[in-house]
Amino acid sequence: MSDLVLQAENISKYYQLGVLGSGTLKKDMQNWWKESVLRKQAEQTEYGASNKEHIWALKDINFEVKKGDTVGLVGKNGSGKSTLLKIISRIITPTSGAIRGNGRVASLLEVGTGFHPELTGRENILLNGQILGMKKSEVVSKFEEIVDFSGIERFIDTPVKRYSSGMYVRLAFAVAAHLNTDILIVDEVLAVGDAEFQKKCLGKMKEVSKEKGKTILFVSHNLQAIRNLCNRAIYLENGNIVDNGKPDAIITNYLTKEKVETLDQDYESWEQAPGNNLIRIKSVRLTPQFLNDRRVVDIRTPLLFQFQCWLFGNYLKKDKLSVSIELYGLTGECIFRILSAATDVEQGILNGSVQIPGNFLNNGYYYLSLSFIDDRGEMIFEFPASVAVDIADHRENTSVFDKWIGAVRPQFQINLDFLKNNLN
Amino acid sequence: MNQTVSWEWELTPQKKWFQLELNDVYNYLGLLKSFVKRELIAGYQQTIMGVFWLVLQPLFTTLFYFLIFSRIVKVSTDGIPPLLFYMSGSILWSFFSDCLSSSMYSFIHNAHIFNKVYFPRIITPLSMVLTHSIRFIIQFAFFLIIYLFFVGFGYVHPSKYLLFLPIVFVLIASLALGIGMIVSIFMAKYRDLEQVMNFILRFVMFVTPVVYPASIIPKAYQLWFWLNPITPLIESFRAAFFSTTIPHHEFIWLSIVTVILLFFIALVIFKRNEIKVMDTI
Repeated sequence: MSDLVLQAENISKYYQLGVLGSGTLKKDMQNWWKESVLRKQAEQTEYGASNKEHIWALKDINFEVKKGDTVGLVGKNGSGKSTLLKIISRIITPTSGAIRGNGRVASLLEVGTGFHPELTGRENILLNGQILGMKKSEVVSKFEEIVDFSGIERFIDTPVKRYSSGMYVRLAFAVAAHLNTDILIVDEVLAVGDAEFQKKCLGKMKEVSKEKGKTILFVSHNLQAIRNLCNRAIYLENGNIVDNGKPDAIITNYLTKEKVETLDQDYESWEQAPGNNLIRIKSVRLTPQFLNDRRVVDIRTPLLFQFQCWLFGNYLKKDKLSVSIELYGLTGECIFRILSAATDVEQGILNGSVQIPGNFLNNGYYYLSLSFIDDRGEMIFEFPASVAVDIADHRENTSVFDKWIGAVRPQFQINLDFLKNNLN
Repeated sequence: MNQTVSWEWELTPQKKWFQLELNDVYNYLGLLKSFVKRELIAGYQQTIMGVFWLVLQPLFTTLFYFLIFSRIVKVSTDGIPPLLFYMSGSILWSFFSDCLSSSMYSFIHNAHIFNKVYFPRIITPLSMVLTHSIRFIIQFAFFLIIYLFFVGFGYVHPSKYLLFLPIVFVLIASLALGIGMIVSIFMAKYRDLEQVMNFILRFVMFVTPVVYPASIIPKAYQLWFWLNPITPLIESFRAAFFSTTIPHHEFIWLSIVTVILLFFIALVIFKRNEIKVMDTI
């Protein structure tokens, strides 16, 4: 198979920490002398593993991307995602290793790069498009489309310094969304802009990757977007690839490792929703039933889990369906599983809910999986780690302060009866 | 994974010495044009006098020089009408120093863009020099109008060297661009260079025949004076317009060779480090 478009081979990136000060020049001269004149390895390239002044932002990264792939990068802040994107975008060089590729790369690490406040929207579209790597003719041919997408026709001849920040982002993203390159690299840029516009942008990205066969590398903390958009995911931690594969598996792995809270997921249309031709998830939601006005989910808080899904009648003719809900702890151990009664269903929307009482779960991180089972006992669809929650500890009237052991923490009353007696 | 795939591009920690990738620049000519346009438009936005500043600036400088150096200090202008003499010196010098002092900030002033998107970095200093070239041409046209007025009244007359004017212009631009590119790379790491360069620029202006003619330099310093690669260029410019003595050919050739060599070295250093410096900026 030679449809690879990107290959990273042993990519490492090394950073020096601290301030470049008065000693810098002297050290640089010494290194230069050693390296160029004496032909020795300079100090800079002797990378001590435990040196406080240095950090490996990336270490021996290897991966390949096929044409048409949409690859999501997940990981905590500082895990090296952005560094990796920057290296592929030719903004910084790797310390060692090589990146090879086929086709034009455009990177979108920020929207509105190079926007000039004094220039009008029209002028900035042209300039920004070209900075992002489009030819002038390409920008001109897509101009109407870009303006339409941004929805700010009226202000197109006004200097962008007079724009509201929302308009600014819209215009900037409109240009970016019309980038037409073989490989598109997108950093967490969707974080800006309102939800409606984000959805529009995600839709645009999906359209680009599906219809035009473009390859996309995508960093986001929005796991729903990654699940939605990507056919592969890479999980980075401390500059290493921890996991690389199907988004669902990677996200579950990531959620449990990094304890990311996901309290709800919503899908507007069934085309984008996770599922298959029998069933698709419309929404899942975990609502803490706060007592008084506390806003922290702790062990006393009852949790309401609700879900909605689309059932497709043409496949699921008069059938019985059971829903299984499993709650898992941090290390993947199952705390409990509950199963609904088998219910007759047809085409339509299935609503379900379950109340998890307060004073039942121990403190810690949990995630809920939702699965659907037909009347032959076969799994129709499983939605792993649909929601995840971190439950805080709460104690009163107790003298136990260390980690409370046990999978659950019910408040069963222990009755104590004390009788004073002299044991003489 | 031992299939052989042919790759169109490869990124490695270090570029080869003479990997200049000039064809890459060709692909970005449109961007270069847009940058120049941006500089030109943005530079005079929301000013009342607008583009007139381009002409007013050398005019004021000329009057100022005239007052100080011709009236008060009484420096010779080699028989050239002072207005033309100072104006020629002032527009040429400000062209050189503007090109240099804007291109040397290529990395520092554009770090936010360079940190987000790739294009051949040379586009930036190149766009600076082109912007200043266009400004220079407007100023030059203004100079030409005044010059023709003086020619009409028979105060000065042109010489055959006028034909070489474009070369003089290209050499001044290349010299500024070359130095600017080298300084920009080093300045990304060593900010001290900003102070050093500002000082050097001011100093060099006074050892260059901007406000005085080369003829007043004492014999003992003549050699050193002429080694400055800008000196023969400015003097040639004046010789072309005012038919004064053309500088020695050796010095002109030396200047040309220096400029070409410097420019080539600058290209190599710049290309080799344009991405690497992003770690230290």
